[in-house]
Amino acid sequence: MSPILAISGLSKQFGGVTALAGVDLAVEEGEILGVVGPNGSGKTTLFNVVTGVHKPSGGTVLFRGRDITGLAPHAISRAGIGYTFQQAMAFAGLGVLENVQIAGEHRRAGGAANPWPTPQALLDFVGLSALGGEKAGVLPFGSLRLLGLALALATRPSLLLLDEPAAGLNDRETSALVGLVRQLPGHGITVCVIDHDMKLMQMLCRRLAVLDFGSKIADGPTEKVLADPKVLDVYLGGDL
Amino acid sequence: MKTGNALRSLLPVLVILALIAAVPLFSPSNRFLSLAISAGTNVIALYGLSVLFGQTGILSMGHAALVGVGAYAAAILARDFGVGFWTALPVAALASAVFAMIVGIPSLRVGGHHFVIMTFAFGQLLAIVLTNGGDYTGAATGLDIAGPVTLFGADMSDLTRYYLMVVAFVTAAAVASWAIIHSSYGRTLRAIRENEKLAASLGINVGRHKIGAFVVSGVFAGISGVLLAYFLGHISPSQFSSFPSIYLALMVMIGGARLIEGPLAGGILVAFLPEVLNLDPVQSRIVYGVCLIAVIMLLPDGLIGGIVRALRVAFSGKPKQEAERDAAPSEARQ
Repeated sequence: MSPILAISGLSKQFGGVTALAGVDLAVEEGEILGVVGPNGSGKTTLFNVVTGVHKPSGGTVLFRGRDITGLAPHAISRAGIGYTFQQAMAFAGLGVLENVQIAGEHRRAGGAANPWPTPQALLDFVGLSALGGEKAGVLPFGSLRLLGLALALATRPSLLLLDEPAAGLNDRETSALVGLVRQLPGHGITVCVIDHDMKLMQMLCRRLAVLDFGSKIADGPTEKVLADPKVLDVYLGGDL
Repeated sequence: MKTGNALRSLLPVLVILALIAAVPLFSPSNRFLSLAISAGTNVIALYGLSVLFGQTGILSMGHAALVGVGAYAAAILARDFGVGFWTALPVAALASAVFAMIVGIPSLRVGGHHFVIMTFAFGQLLAIVLTNGGDYTGAATGLDIAGPVTLFGADMSDLTRYYLMVVAFVTAAAVASWAIIHSSYGRTLRAIRENEKLAASLGINVGRHKIGAFVVSGVFAGISGVLLAYFLGHISPSQFSSFPSIYLALMVMIGGARLIEGPLAGGILVAFLPEVLNLDPVQSRIVYGVCLIAVIMLLPDGLIGGIVRALRVAFSGKPKQEAERDAAPSEARQ
């Protein structure tokens, strides 16, 4: 079966700096893939190039066989790739329910059965249904992260890219998030998580890809990757 | 029930406009009516500006140019084609919309402050073109527009009748602006105002919607221009250059761009304040400047936003963050 997202030879240069040096990566339908690597390894650049924030210097991105390389961010979203940001999680000045409404109004036509037919159903799913009337800006940080997830899900993606989804969350909030993300493949949503938090990745992902200096240095089942000497070396010479 | 809430937000404006329409019963002076008519034409443009600035978060400092395109379109149509008021109205609105698109496509590629400067430059450019347009635009002297305005056979040129017609147009502009605010289109524009990057990630074509909002504001401006041209009977380039543009931006900020009452309050206040306080033009400019600084620093939602918040505090005893009614979510539709 062909992968849902096939990245091949993807590179990105900022001036003379190589942020991505020809990365190949395949995301298989129905999995939760983790992309890890130390700071500056090219994780966020990879995310930004796939979502159209940056144009790649070379290489291709195929989504379900369709070439989406270099499309604008809104076109990538409409193609069926949802994504969340580390920083911009929700529209702070607008109501929580209105946030989700907006997110659901520009998605692609058609697609599979919607597990969350109304904005309220989505708020129920992420556990924010009691806060629908509040302004997003007054939500505590953890709830804001969940709202960000709800917004991305409202676009009814078949592939969801999460950029450091647990950054700034406490343990309880993190495990709530992990619980939600684990349910997504069951709703027909493939997930790709980008993070450097190994604990989170071990909880979420059966498969990991590791980036270092813009190149992929490992890719495989989580346990094997974590035992790989090259990976251990990258992570402070050993102990995780 | 939520639709009821949305309707209720329109009600105060309609009540105020009904009171304003009743003013001729008290036999006001011609000077009052003239001032009110020009304030009314401004308010129509301000409702368009509130969609652009209040909802989408884009400020135009050349908005009087869009009004000017409408006014000149009406004058040229009347002179060269014998076209009357009612036909000029949609044509001029279209002309302003097209001009907005021509300005918007290159200008909105750049963000924030740069757009403000671009609109300012285009506004000045239009004034220069009109001034150097020879006989076609009447150069610095401008153009006369003489045709009578008739409605169902009645001559509307009489001051009181024209006043009532302008009030009707203001009402239509307020309702149109309200309908935009409470539609999914309005939600889309607010999303862009709040966070362009996030909006794009949700499938919103940010660039196209920004140009679209500018075009929509151009339609309001064009209609305002036709009403102004037929009221004054004479138009000239200086009426549509930088100072009038700055005044329009000032009015919408003072009134409050996000609330449906804002443009009405801003337009009336700026038109009548010098009259009430008996200020000469230089003094009034100083007062406006001070007002603008005060509003920006103290009342980010404008005067009306400030009043709404003060009332909330007075009645509930606690300040609430959400002083805007514009953000009230309408019913969940899927």
